[in-house]
Parts: sequence; structure tokens; C-alpha cells
Amino acid sequence: MTLTVDTTAAPPLLLQTSDISKDFAGVTVLEKVQFDLRPGEVHILAGENGAGKSTLIKIIAGVHTEYSGQVDIQGFTVRMKNPLDAEKYGIAVIHQEMSLVPSMSVADNIFLGRENTHAFGWLNHNYQKQQAHEILRELGLEGINVSLPLEEYPISVQQMIEIAKALALKSRIIIMDEPTSALTDPEVEKLFAIIDQLKAKGCGIIYITHKMEEIYRIADRITVLRDGKYIGTADAEDLPANKLVNWMVGREITEQFPPRTGTPGAVSIRLENFSVPNPGQGAKWLAHDVSLEARAGEIIGLAGLQGSGNSALLQGIFGAYGPIAHGRVFLNDKPYTISHPRHAINSGVALLTSDRKATGLVLGMNITRNITLAALDDFSPGGWLKHGQEVDAAQKHREALRIKADRLEQEVNSLSGGNQQKVALAKWLQTKPRVLLLDEPTRGVDIGAKAEIYRLMNQWTSEGVTILLITSEMPELLAMSDRIYVMSRGKVTAHYQRGDATQEKILHAAMGHDIGLN
Amino acid sequence: MTEPKHQDTTNNSLVKFLSSPIARALFALILVIIIGLIRNADGSFFKFETHRDMLRHISRYGILACGMTIVIITAGIDLSVGSLLGITAVIFSLTTLHLGWGAFLAIPLTLLAGVGCGLMSGTLIGKFKLQPFIATLAMMVFARGVAKYITGGEKITRAIQKGNEFVYVDLPGIFAFLNSRVLNDSVAVVTIIFLICLLISWLLLDKLRWGRYLYAIGGNEEAARLSGVPVRAMKLLAYGISGFFCAVAGMCQAASEQQGDPEAGQTYELTAIAIVVIGGTNLMGGRGSIWLTLIGALTIGYLEKILSINAVSEAGRLMLTGAIIVGAVLFQGTKKR
Amino acid sequence: MKKMIALMLVAMLVGIFGCTKEPQQPAGTETKPTGTEPAAKTSWMIGMSQCNLGEPWRVQMNADVKAAAEKQPELTVLFKDAQNDSLKQVSQMEEYITQGVDLIIISPKEAAPLTTVVAQAVEKGIPVIVLDRRVVGDEYTCFIGADNKKIGKAAGEWIVKKLGGKGNVVELKGLMTSTPGQDRHTGFREGIKGSDIKIIFEADMKWLEPEARKEMESALARYDNIDLVYAHNDPGAHGAYLAAQAAGREKDILFVGIDGLAHEGQMYVKEGILAASFEYPTGGKEAVETALKILHGEDVPKEITLDSTVYTADSFK
Repeated sequence: MTLTVDTTAAPPLLLQTSDISKDFAGVTVLEKVQFDLRPGEVHILAGENGAGKSTLIKIIAGVHTEYSGQVDIQGFTVRMKNPLDAEKYGIAVIHQEMSLVPSMSVADNIFLGRENTHAFGWLNHNYQKQQAHEILRELGLEGINVSLPLEEYPISVQQMIEIAKALALKSRIIIMDEPTSALTDPEVEKLFAIIDQLKAKGCGIIYITHKMEEIYRIADRITVLRDGKYIGTADAEDLPANKLVNWMVGREITEQFPPRTGTPGAVSIRLENFSVPNPGQGAKWLAHDVSLEARAGEIIGLAGLQGSGNSALLQGIFGAYGPIAHGRVFLNDKPYTISHPRHAINSGVALLTSDRKATGLVLGMNITRNITLAALDDFSPGGWLKHGQEVDAAQKHREALRIKADRLEQEVNSLSGGNQQKVALAKWLQTKPRVLLLDEPTRGVDIGAKAEIYRLMNQWTSEGVTILLITSEMPELLAMSDRIYVMSRGKVTAHYQRGDATQEKILHAAMGHDIGLN
Repeated sequence: MTEPKHQDTTNNSLVKFLSSPIARALFALILVIIIGLIRNADGSFFKFETHRDMLRHISRYGILACGMTIVIITAGIDLSVGSLLGITAVIFSLTTLHLGWGAFLAIPLTLLAGVGCGLMSGTLIGKFKLQPFIATLAMMVFARGVAKYITGGEKITRAIQKGNEFVYVDLPGIFAFLNSRVLNDSVAVVTIIFLICLLISWLLLDKLRWGRYLYAIGGNEEAARLSGVPVRAMKLLAYGISGFFCAVAGMCQAASEQQGDPEAGQTYELTAIAIVVIGGTNLMGGRGSIWLTLIGALTIGYLEKILSINAVSEAGRLMLTGAIIVGAVLFQGTKKR
Repeated sequence: MKKMIALMLVAMLVGIFGCTKEPQQPAGTETKPTGTEPAAKTSWMIGMSQCNLGEPWRVQMNADVKAAAEKQPELTVLFKDAQNDSLKQVSQMEEYITQGVDLIIISPKEAAPLTTVVAQAVEKGIPVIVLDRRVVGDEYTCFIGADNKKIGKAAGEWIVKKLGGKGNVVELKGLMTSTPGQDRHTGFREGIKGSDIKIIFEADMKWLEPEARKEMESALARYDNIDLVYAHNDPGAHGAYLAAQAAGREKDILFVGIDGLAHEGQMYVKEGILAASFEYPTGGKEAVETALKILHGEDVPKEITLDSTVYTADSFK
């Protein structure tokens, strides 16, 4: 069926791609995909990991140059040869993984690759600084010293600077690939305000996210891809959440969060006046005077904004900072001395770190070897590796966790985010932990895999494992935690039983208002 | 139904093999051998001795490259191997030739010296967090200094000065043995020692828990540490083993030259790195294998041999060797995912 | 921990400097009389500037100077090693000039960078003996050196005689980018000119024994009939010998090297490994003798070319 649209009335499209197909070494990753972008709209590109979103973005951004199909920008058919070309056509990409140079100054980062120069290539530092300052002010970041190295600022600020970089381009087509994954809630609000400004200026924004709430906060239209195929495009109000999920996974996920059942057992970990000193610069304590306890079979949520100390608390317990923690820790009522990760692992404590690529997995190693790494002693009596046993164990986890991979010999590099996360989880399960510290277990994981991770968390707790959970997704925290401790500036500021906690209460406590512990 | 599928998989496994690091390393080696077949220098290339002697010559470098491979897999580098070869050659010569020690005393002492130097580098890197490049650069200069200090800058030969007269000592049996050939005269003892070093490295890297730890450290040190890998101890192990192999190569050097030259081994570290890199082991760490290093050693060995039997001028050799290194590494790079 | 490292470093530094200072101490005490009695000098201080003590031959040169000077009680010699760095050698020369030594012996690393400082010393009235390598121009007192070309020629002529005018020879060259390598090569070619000697194989062995051995293996694989190996230094000749020995052909081939150091070339000749080793004299002894003449006000020639001794089996009978 062909629709005849009165094109004269509508503003011209900023971007239109039609029948885009692309394959890697014979494997089709995109098949006749349609996508368009109007001026002044936020167009969500949705789909599970591996659906082909990134590939499509890379074609639009001039990274992938071999594809079939057509790309039109403001009515003209173009064929970009490289990312610089795309930049010239007014396309800017804000990546999930940042493309900034930490050691360079903020201003230099913003103008990287298109430096403002005098004759003979002399850098015009002052002009750049002034411009950078101007752009940051527009973003509501007046306090930033553009001459300081980027690494002096927290990740969230760096992310905003990445956005500033796109603005400096004066781009009309802005692609944001999970821009909020490292941002705190107030920062997210700031970002959304900026997006509104951009819309008002007539820019079009292609937005990728896994967070449902975000989609319905800002979406004008939504396009869904699944397994490289185009599923459909709809206005946001015509595509309610359940239908969107249906489009994305091809089936209804009726129950995103499985119910928590079972009764907690004995106290398995107890902290008394536990403090983690800061090994680096800045505040003296990362976490200070924390007392809490958790029972076997419980999931304890640790809420808090970025830098609140919840993440540092888990790392402190695990011994990631070495034996520097103060206070007392009891595992199963026995005093436990914190020393090093190896000691924690041997004592039944495991830590899933928040950044699986930087600190979780050895990306260049295969699935089996990643899974057995933390429990290698069990597979190497007398130091000699038992390859067969390793493969058997990995195979067991692959089935139990439904890790999607062609072969166990595959490097984890080649897996999707969700499957990488499952490999990281499998590594810690292999150590047979009694206390599982989970820092952002579902970050960057698609909806289907998220549901599976929730299911697995329930399964493990039913087997008597204690989970301490950090997550920046409020619904997840509320649904999965049996009890919630809220932290702010290193201290516990509130404690809620399941059902007592609400988003507002937690945010309030996380902002530093001491509610008083019951 | 099943037949085409079966064909598909064999086809796939062939493709898989051809794109594997081993196949790519072999490609460079075969290319060099083909050059040898064409430029065979009046048939010299077809003589058995040519290959036997090539293996003998490359073995010392190969032994150093074994240690270098282990270190590079941890994302490190060991610039001190040439100097350690020099200092251990001197210690071995000094104890056997001048002090008249027996092999059973001199060999352990030399090995201990090599391991000790390696552990010193390993401590600087693991405990004091110096960059491997800097720590081993310092060790390279330091060990060369010590070698010159011990010898007073002169070679330790069989000639011992007594007043104004020179007394000549006999060549110790261990020197003769290390410099001889076995198995019906078909293979040099040094080559056998190289093979043993390869075997030791293979056992460590592929069969032992420690080897897995070395790969993990090279792949992602922080993730390895948080997985309970004893990072410091493993770095000590890597540089200690490298020092051990340096001592082994140093003794072979001394036996081959029948003297301990404090200058011995200069620029050997570059050859060892070239061998590892041509084999295809990544300087970024976490990947690679000892068999790639064997192929790299053969590639460099054959290249040198072919240039030598054709009496190519020094200038031509340097240019060709440089081109081959770039070519081999580029070829491996283009097929990388 | 850091304190410990610092302490160790300090201890090491003190130790090392302690070592190097030692020979200078007696020099300082003995120089005092020279200051008090400027009229009739009976004791002199000589500064010896060596460009690089990394080479055994240069170690030998220093040893020769020292041995010769010890026989003259009125001489004290200071030694400085420039560690193969021309600029370092310049500053060491300047130190000698400021110190006011009575004579300088220099074995320069390179001609151009050291010419000026040698001229400065001469201007200040300090005689300079240039040893082994030259400086540019004639602003020096005396040059003493061996002539590599002459030695190469002598070796060539000796080989022609030894082989009876014809034969297959392998030439293992030092570095052809270095002057000694070039001279030992061209001199040799001059020496064999007119004979029926054929150079069947030649290769650079970079003055290194393992390289020489590798090249010789190639020559052995390629040629069944080799009469003699001429190597530009003794380690090269020895490496070639080891290769031939491994191939079981050492009895059929003669080996000739250059340098003739006591613990190297001379030993090899004595043991029958080398047929001959041509001495490349260090000139250390001659330098001290010449220095003494200069200090006593005698005239010396501007240029002294050292004679080379050839060591053969007969030399040790």
C-alpha cells in the first residue's frame, strides 16, 4: 500500500534512509530498514541489543560505508565516505562509550578535530576557551573551568561535555546513544532540558535508550528494529509500553519484574561502623560509619546518587581497595578481616562491578576462560589446568543463564552487552558465593536479558544467597529489593522495608536529607 | 540434506584456520622460504647444514624470545634481555674459566643471577608500579654496567694474566658440550635447549593456572585483580622466567664464543621483540602463544640465512629485514577483526 | 620503603664514585710540588682522554699508557672515559685545560667535534698528543696512530705468500660503514693485487663473533673449496674457525685476523686456531715515550705511524 502524503505542507525531512541493508562477512545485520527524522522531534530508535540499532547509526554517521539502500539528508541523496563527511552534513553522534581524551583540557576536547586556528595552524586558544565556555553555559554548566583536563571532572560531567562537543558542531541531526547511562537524575533532567532547547531550534534527535521511563518522557516518535529487520514506526502516544515491548521482543513480556518470594534466613553479612577511607584525592571517606545487616535469601538495595558511596561500600567489603577499611565485618556471625579480592572470593563474597568492560571481563579471552577465572583453583589441582572440567562448567552456566553464543571458544568481545553481563555473572556464580555484591547488574542490558537476570536473582536468593544490589533504575530497585538502604555522601541516610519505599522518599534521602534510621 | 551442510563446515573450518593467527604467521614464514627456494645460492639452501646451522644461530635469540613472549602476554616488555644475556655470559665464563668452578656449581649460580635480575625488574613493575618499559630500560643499562664492572671492560677469555705473562686454561667440558651437536650430528645442543625452553613456556602458558593468570593480566589487569588473580606475584613470575631464559641463552652465548664478552647481547632485545611480533603476538598483551614465537623465530632465522648465503650487503639486509617486519605485521593487522 | 630506596641509591652512588676517584687521589697529592717549584720541573701530570672504554682494544690502550707511565716515576697520568660521547669528551678536555695539566693525550671519538678543544689546549700552551683517530687541521702537537690500510696490505701480502699466489679466500669484514673496516678492506685488496687469489665470499660481520660464525656457515654451505679466511678482527676469525670446526673443515682452512691482543689473537695463534694475527698497536707506550720527550723540550715528529707486528706460530717458539 502506498500512502500519498502532502509533502508541501510538512517541513522537509532532515534525514531519510530507505531500504538500508548491510551484512558482515555474509551475516545479514540489517535488512531493508526504513528510518526518517523530522526537524524538531525526538525519534527513539528502539530494539534489543543486537537488533541492528548501532549498525544503522554507524551508517548514518559515515562509519560504515558499505551498505545498500539510500540515505537522503534534507532532500539530497548522499553517500558518506567517512565520519568527517557526516560531520559536514550536520550529523553529530554522542556515543555510549565516550570519544573524549581524558588528559586534554575541556576546551580542547570540545574542539578536537576542528580546532580554531590562526594562519599557519597556530591554535587560537583564547577563542576556543571563550566559545567552549559559551556552549557550556548554554548547557547550564557555568562552573566548569575549560582549561582543566577533562579527567578532573566526574563521568557525568564528561558526558555533558561530550554533548557540548556536538553542539559546537552546530549540527542539525544529533544522535544520542544511551546518553544517560552514566548520568545522575538531576543531570538527566538537565539533559532533557537541553534536548527541548535543541528541538525548539529545529534540530532532530535520534535517541537510543533501554530505559522505558526515558522513552515516554521525551519520545515524539518511535521506530523499532528486531533482528536487523524493520518492525515499524509509530507516534509515542500510539505505542504504549506493552505494545512497544511486544514489537521489540516479538512476544509479550507480561511481567517485567518477577515477584519476590521466600523468607530470609540467618544474618549472613553484618557491617558495624564500617568505613572506607579514600585512597585518592578529595573527601576523606568514600563510605563512613555504615552499619547494616543482610540475611540469607535477601536482596538488599543500596540506593544513592553517583558518588554517594554505595559503590565504594561494595568495593570496600570486597577488598578492592586493599586492607584499608575500618570497622567490623561479620560473615555468618564470624569476624571477617578485609584484605584482598582473593580473600573475599575464598570467603564466599563476590563483586560484580558496574563497568564490565573496564573491570569485569577480560574481553580478549574466551567465554570459558572468563567464567572460570575467579575460581581457577578449583580447576587446577596442583596448578595444572583441567581443560575438560572448565568446559563442562562453562557449558552448565551457558545453559542455566541462557548465554547466547556460537561457541564457548568465542572471545567475550564478540558477545552482546547482555550476554557479556551473563558471562560476568557466571564467573561469580562459579565461585559459589554466599554474598553476592551486584553493582548495576542490568546496565546496558536489553529488556529480554534484564528479565532473565531478575529471574536468576530470585533463583539464587531462593538457594540462600544474599544479594546487595546497586541499580540506577528506580523501578528495578523498588521491585527487586526486600529492604533498601539509601546512602548520601558516604553515609546511610535512610532505611526502608519493602513496600515502604517510594521513588520520592528515596530521592529525598539520596539528596542528603537525613530521614533517621528506624 | 546432510551432505552440503557437512561440506559447509569443512569449508568453514578451513576459512577459520586460514584466518587464525597461526596460519597468518605461517604465511610469512612460507613466503620467506619460497624466497629461499628461488634465491638458493647455487643450491646452498637445499643443503641440510644450512638449515641445521640456521637453527643453531637463531636458538639463542629464540630462547630470549620465549621469555619475551611471556612478558608481552602480560602487556609488558623486557628491554633488559640483551644485557642480562651479557651479564650471565660473563658470570658463567668468569666462574668456569677463571675460577675453575665445575658446571654443577656455575650453572645454578648463573641461572640464579638471571632470575635475580628478572625478579628485580618484576619488583619494580609489580610493587613500585613502574612502567615495564622504564623499569627494564633501567635494568638494561644497569646490568650492562655491572657486566663491565665485573670484567673491567675486557672479555673473559681462556687467557689469564699472571704478571706480564698469559696462562691459557683448557676449554671446560660444559663449553664444548653446549657448542656441540647431538643425534648423529644433526642438531645443535643449543637448538635442543631452545626446544626445551619452548616446551617450558608452553606448559606454563597453556597448562598451568599461572599461565591463565598471565593472559588475564595482559587482557585486563583490573578485572584480573578483582577476580582474585595475584597480579604482583604473576609479574614477578613473568620477569623472573624471562631472566631465567636470559641466563640460559647467556650460557649458550658464552659457550659459542668460548668467552664472556661484557658487550655480548647488544640489540638482542630488539631481535627478540621482532621475533615475538612477527609471530603475531600482540604487544598490547592478553593474546598470543609460544608457537607463534617459534614461527617468528624460524621466519627471522630463515630470512637472515637466505640473506647470508646470498652474501647480500649489510645495507640491503637492513632494508629487507625492516620491510619484512612491517609486511608481516601489516598482513596480520589487516585480517584482524 | 621510599626512604630505603633513596638510601640504597645514595649508598650505590657513593660506592661507585668511591671506585672511580681512587686513582685520582695520589695524583692530587703528587701535583703539589709542581705548583711550588715552577722553575725546574721534575714531575708532570698527563691527562689521558679516552673516547670509549667499551672496546677491549681501548681498555688495552689505557693499560699500555698506564704500564709505560709507571716506569717513569716523574709522570702521573689521569684517565677519563668519555663513554662514546663526543660532547662529553669535549667537556673532559676542558676540565684538563682548566686543571692545568702539563700534557694531554687524547684518543678522540670523532674528528670534527674535538678539533676546537684540542686547538684551545695547544693555544694555552698544553701539548696534545692525538692517538689513533685524527682531528681536523694541524693544531696539535703530535699524532700517533697505526695505519689500517697498511696493516690490511701487510695481511694481503702475507696471505699471497702463504697461499703461493693463488687460492679461494673468504673475507669477513667489520662494518663497512666504519673507517677501520674500509681501510682493512682496501688495504687487503691492494695487498693481493696481481695474484691469483679469488675472493669467493665476503660479508659484514659487524666485528661480532656470532655474526662471523653465521656468515662463515653460509660460506661453508655454499663453497666446498675454501683455502683461507681473512677477518677484519680476531673474534671474527675465531668465529669463522668455530663454524669450520662444527662442519669438520677447520683443518683445510687457514684463518687470519687483525688486532693481536694478548688474551685474544695471540692466544688463538698460540693454540693453532689462527695462522696469523696482525697486531693493531694501541700506541699507548709510544704516546708516553713521546710525551716524555716533549716535556723534556725535545723535538718530536708531527706524525708517528706505528709498526704492526704479525703474530704467527713462529712468534711463540
